[in-house]
Amino acid sequence: MEILVQNIFNALQWGSFYALIALGYTLVYGVLLLINFAHGDIFMVGAYIAFFLTTFFLGEYGVIAPGSLAGVTILMLAVPLTMILTSMVGVTLERVAYRPLRDKGAHRLYVVITALMCGLILENGNLALLGASRKKFPELLEKTVWTFGNVSVTNLKVMVIFAALLVFLFLQFVVTRTKTGMAMRAISYDKFAIPLMGIPINNIIVFTFILGSGFAGLAGLLFAMSYPILEPYMGALIGWKAFIAAVVGGIGDIRGAFLGGFLLAFVEIGVVAVFPSTLRDLMAFSVLLIILWWKPTGLFGIAKTTKI
Amino acid sequence: MLLSVKNLHVKYGNIEALHGISFDIDEGEIVTLIGANGAGKSTTLHTITRLPPPDGPRVTEGEILFKGQSILKIPAHKIVSDLHITLAPEGRHIFGNLTVLENLTLATYARKDRDNIPKDLQRVFELFPRLEERRKQRSESLSGGEQQMLAVGRAFMSGGRILLLDEPSMGLAPLLMYEKFRTLKRLNQEEGITILLVEQNARIALQFAHRGYVLDTGEIVAQGSSAQLTNDPDVKKAYLGG
Repeated sequence: MEILVQNIFNALQWGSFYALIALGYTLVYGVLLLINFAHGDIFMVGAYIAFFLTTFFLGEYGVIAPGSLAGVTILMLAVPLTMILTSMVGVTLERVAYRPLRDKGAHRLYVVITALMCGLILENGNLALLGASRKKFPELLEKTVWTFGNVSVTNLKVMVIFAALLVFLFLQFVVTRTKTGMAMRAISYDKFAIPLMGIPINNIIVFTFILGSGFAGLAGLLFAMSYPILEPYMGALIGWKAFIAAVVGGIGDIRGAFLGGFLLAFVEIGVVAVFPSTLRDLMAFSVLLIILWWKPTGLFGIAKTTKI
Repeated sequence: MLLSVKNLHVKYGNIEALHGISFDIDEGEIVTLIGANGAGKSTTLHTITRLPPPDGPRVTEGEILFKGQSILKIPAHKIVSDLHITLAPEGRHIFGNLTVLENLTLATYARKDRDNIPKDLQRVFELFPRLEERRKQRSESLSGGEQQMLAVGRAFMSGGRILLLDEPSMGLAPLLMYEKFRTLKRLNQEEGITILLVEQNARIALQFAHRGYVLDTGEIVAQGSSAQLTNDPDVKKAYLGG
């Protein structure tokens, strides 16, 4: 029983990471019908941005006196700044890589390939710039462990889960209740008519990238705090997994991405609880394959209708 | 003149679709552009609404003036939000994944006169009671005729004072078509909305409009009041079936 509860908490934490990244995939897909394969690497860049911000505030570069800022203060500064800077990376990709193709009327396939290449450029650019050595993310929060019997939950774990839940509720509100959200949904259905409503289409697209990349940055920061080793390829596998989670949930749908993220994490942790951990990915993806075989559009997907 | 098109040459890719057309519209008028398929009617409307690339046409020569000012450098969304020129496009292009009410709400995205929105929504529901009944429905579940109503309602909700209509009769049964034109006439008379109507169905267009222009393969070949055009032997022969 205690092992079960412990595993549930672990699954919730991993599910939160998957969900935070999957939401970015689903947002961009929901608007542009584009699979932004660079998104996992934007998550990685977010983790590195968080690393440089926190070490800066810790005084490692000599600008700020070491120890002058408390860990909590640094975190409070790092969260918004990481989100802002990471969203700028996402917007830059959209401006220099995706928009020119869109303006020339390129088929979506070419934009997807471009996204793949952008991801590789981010990974290898990082490698060239910072070298292959791993970075150790500093500890910002004093670790608090709450223990109930044999179940222990850290403050960080609770924070991650709450962050994912808040982001989900926020995005669900934006997409379903605001005019900007309506515009986001409308673009994927009929791009032609958007300017006829007086809507500057590129502003909506940029806004979408700001949201998706900003929350990938948040995920990067929280991930680096939880698993404090950073390397240039850290976004690749988790990005793929989050993408698959978004597809299983029904890509284009906010609820689907959120649920898909947790579903994947629960299946993974469930497999490891019973089988040797080497079977984790094999079995987890087999389960997802069966779900897609049963419902190809994903849990929340409706065939070619509402997306996002 | 509210809107003047002067010697407009327009290209799609390398093909010139309009070879120097000129026409104008005064405030409160209903003007029609009639012509066969491929005459350049939709191109004319898309050029006025400044639809961006890759779909939009390219102006190579000539001018489009709104109250005497060139609009060629104004982006598409500002044509709607600042100049209040709005297009109800051919094929309706409603947002099928949004509800009827969401479609009408989204159209108010860039409006600055927020206070008038509830009143305008009431007006749309009064003109098209079917839309009020179905306001919570996904709009792709509407019938073709209802989708047409939504497209016009949406154009009105966007704050349009000049309404460009692209083939509004298309796909409508005659009874529905006459009903629709009656509603459009009300918009013109009661709300003072200026209308530029593009139609293949020259007969109904000339019944409805004050004046008209005949467009043939990118050139204006005839113009005049609706009565003049209706009695013009060439127009009669080519567009009104003898």
